[in-house]
Amino acid sequence: MGKYLLRRFIQLVVVSFIISVLAFLLIHLLPGDPSTVILGANDTAQNKAILLHQLGLNKPLWQQYTTWITAIFHGDLGQSYLNHQSVTHILATGAPIDIELIIISQIIAFSVAIPMALITSRRPNRPVDNMATTGTFGMLALPPFVIAPIMVAIFAVGLGWFPATGYVPFTQDPAANLHNMILPSLAITAGSIAVYYRLLRSDLISTLQEDFITMARSKGLSSRYIMWRHAFRPSTFSLLAGAGVNIGALIAGTFVVEYLFALNGLGYTLVQAVYQRDYLVVQGIALVVAIAYVILQFIIDFIFTVVDPRVTRG
Amino acid sequence: MPSGNEISRRSFLSRSAVAGGAVALGAGAPSLLAGCSSNSGSTGSPPTGSKPGVGTGTPKRGGSLTVGTLAEIDGFLPATNHWDTNGYLYANAVYDPLMAVATDGTIKPYLAQSMTGNSTFDTWTMTLRPGIKFHDGSDLTSAVVKANFTALQASLLTGVALKQVASVTTPDDMTVVYTLTGPNPTFPSGLTTQVGYMVAEAMLQAAAAHPSTAPKPIGTGPFVYSQWQPNDHFTATRNPSYWRSGFPYLDQITFKPIPDTVQREASLRTGVVDMIQSTDANTINRFSGSGGSGYQLVDTRTGVIGQPTMAFLMLNTAVTPTNDLRVRQALAKGLDVATIQRLFGGGFAKPINGLFLPDSPYYSNTGYPTFDPAGAKALVNEYKAQHGTPSLQLTTITDPLLGKLIQIVQQMWNQVGFNITIQQVQQANIISDFVVGNFQAATIYQFGAVNPDLNYVWFSTTTISPVGQIGLNFPRNSDPQIETAMLTGRHTTDTATRVTAYQTVNERLAQDLPYLWIDQYLFSEVAQDRVQNFNNPILPDGSPQYPYNEGIFVPTQIWLT
Repeated sequence: MGKYLLRRFIQLVVVSFIISVLAFLLIHLLPGDPSTVILGANDTAQNKAILLHQLGLNKPLWQQYTTWITAIFHGDLGQSYLNHQSVTHILATGAPIDIELIIISQIIAFSVAIPMALITSRRPNRPVDNMATTGTFGMLALPPFVIAPIMVAIFAVGLGWFPATGYVPFTQDPAANLHNMILPSLAITAGSIAVYYRLLRSDLISTLQEDFITMARSKGLSSRYIMWRHAFRPSTFSLLAGAGVNIGALIAGTFVVEYLFALNGLGYTLVQAVYQRDYLVVQGIALVVAIAYVILQFIIDFIFTVVDPRVTRG
Repeated sequence: MPSGNEISRRSFLSRSAVAGGAVALGAGAPSLLAGCSSNSGSTGSPPTGSKPGVGTGTPKRGGSLTVGTLAEIDGFLPATNHWDTNGYLYANAVYDPLMAVATDGTIKPYLAQSMTGNSTFDTWTMTLRPGIKFHDGSDLTSAVVKANFTALQASLLTGVALKQVASVTTPDDMTVVYTLTGPNPTFPSGLTTQVGYMVAEAMLQAAAAHPSTAPKPIGTGPFVYSQWQPNDHFTATRNPSYWRSGFPYLDQITFKPIPDTVQREASLRTGVVDMIQSTDANTINRFSGSGGSGYQLVDTRTGVIGQPTMAFLMLNTAVTPTNDLRVRQALAKGLDVATIQRLFGGGFAKPINGLFLPDSPYYSNTGYPTFDPAGAKALVNEYKAQHGTPSLQLTTITDPLLGKLIQIVQQMWNQVGFNITIQQVQQANIISDFVVGNFQAATIYQFGAVNPDLNYVWFSTTTISPVGQIGLNFPRNSDPQIETAMLTGRHTTDTATRVTAYQTVNERLAQDLPYLWIDQYLFSEVAQDRVQNFNNPILPDGSPQYPYNEGIFVPTQIWLT
């Protein structure tokens, strides 16, 4: 297992390096002089000269990359030339929002999808299973930008249970923070529930037809014990793989929800930066998000080895 | 014209401050300005009544006001940042202007104590109020005013508009003398806009020393900067040493950008914010009648001083095919404005034919083309015979309603023979495109001004640049008659001559057709009932201030019940 993980870690490092090079080249791939690209055509010659010096834009590319990556390792990802906020600060502000959205939504998603799949997979194509399948079809069909306004209309404006927008940092007031994050998290949960349920259900149905399950039944073990002890674990591969992709997509991928709920997360910030041609912010967020995605896949791979040690001998 | 998700820049154009930036100085009746002075520090007593936004009862101190705004700004420096409606809201919290507009349209001193023009109106002498301090404890002096002016003149953003100021001198600590290149009886009105907001010298120095770092705002205003997290919130706390004694009433004010109009309204209804601003005409409908129970609604359907902000399509007269007058005429005749107003106007649309609404003294029958699809087709065919089918790109910002609008306009124009493609871009980018003339046709909102002269830079032949270079005359419409009329309006002291001059401008625009008018652009403010007096500010001399200037209110005298 150690060798397997070491091999995966090396792959992680290599992929991260490639990502960093691509992120670095982002500015240079755009037409025009990088300082003009960053500052805009109308900025002063003085500011362009300052930027040139700061980023070493007149040096060879490999030297610029070295300067850039060294600065990153010192926590300097550049700054927004729109409002002069440091990219590091932008990330530090936005990342907790995205992380919290992911954690809450995935906890809810797994909490609903797994039990539902465990129940319905025991009796496939029965009414409960059909209802659950139809329901998840509906969840898949409803995107977050449809679900969010409906939930706001009902639970915020109508019932007054939750605020319509806003964010309170967890460290400032945990209760208010959770109160504000419920609706945004639910808006992105529906799709996750549908995906996890369907993946787990189909794998469970296959697993329950395996010989070792028949053996377990013949030994007189209860259905619940068989489900949890024997069927669930080998049926989670697709679920884990799907979760890895899904969670990865949610990293900075919740732009619509963040926009609707006025959350200053990475997704919203990234899209704003793209539209406003705030390229250093785009570069910084893209780099961090891509690296986070790679690390997430590494973690998923590790979990695979725990779930099924045979993976390491592959 | 409603627009749910306007992004920041559009309404700053309505304030005559621009990304490439210019604030024209001028405006107002000169006789009302000569020798104008005011009392210092008078709080006055707000009139009571049941009008929305007018406080009733005794003001209460304390509390925190949260305002849901349309979008975020990019900074607080008047010389370099692009202030739109949101920028002015932040500015009115932490800064004060040198001059301000009264409800009767006159320009009155604010930080200034008096502003006097000489007999030829080419020299203006301003006397500052004594004893005013910035939030860092430094004094407001003539040297600071001059330092602000120097920064503004040096800026790409605002320098163009200040070309008419030949020099600024400071004979003593409290006196500033502006010497103009020519007579301008309405010079002080420009000091009610972005170029009139004063910042501390320390802030100017910080900006100069570290141009890549955003300086924190240091003003003389009723609130002191506390925290700014872009796209999340801007917070300022009560200035305990505010020079207008007794103000402000609030302990704190916070602005929260909430881009989506529906969510902004929901935030108000759920108590997340106490007030919201909107540019969607349907907000007015939703908060009128029973839907407005418990709320106060103020909007710009009435009460606009000077020119309202107009919504229109702008045509570039320097690029093909819109450089051909026949094409512009065809586009005008092919545009069914009544249908557009019906679909997007929220029921508030008025027939318009130019810069001015029917109740304006400058209104006249401009001869602006009416909807005439047959006439449009004939013009298109005439052009086609010589140059082929006219193709152009219609651009707007990334707003859902505007996206629908340009699709409808595209259909209208295609039906009369054009080949129209549409494009949506971010607002910050569209403004840059306007400035360098990188467009053919585009939606825009602009020209709101307490005085028509403030729009001089947008129409002047002196602000035209070739496509690819910075020019504030965005459509590159070169009309010497407009230039002459604008300057006549600026320099004259005769009201009738002034009216005739701006009517000439309007009529010439109807001939040149760089702008295809659609509707008045409506702003609205909705507040919970507990928010008192947001529509009833008083000037230092005790007279009522223009309360709701195209989406901008003054927080100085707001209180909460």
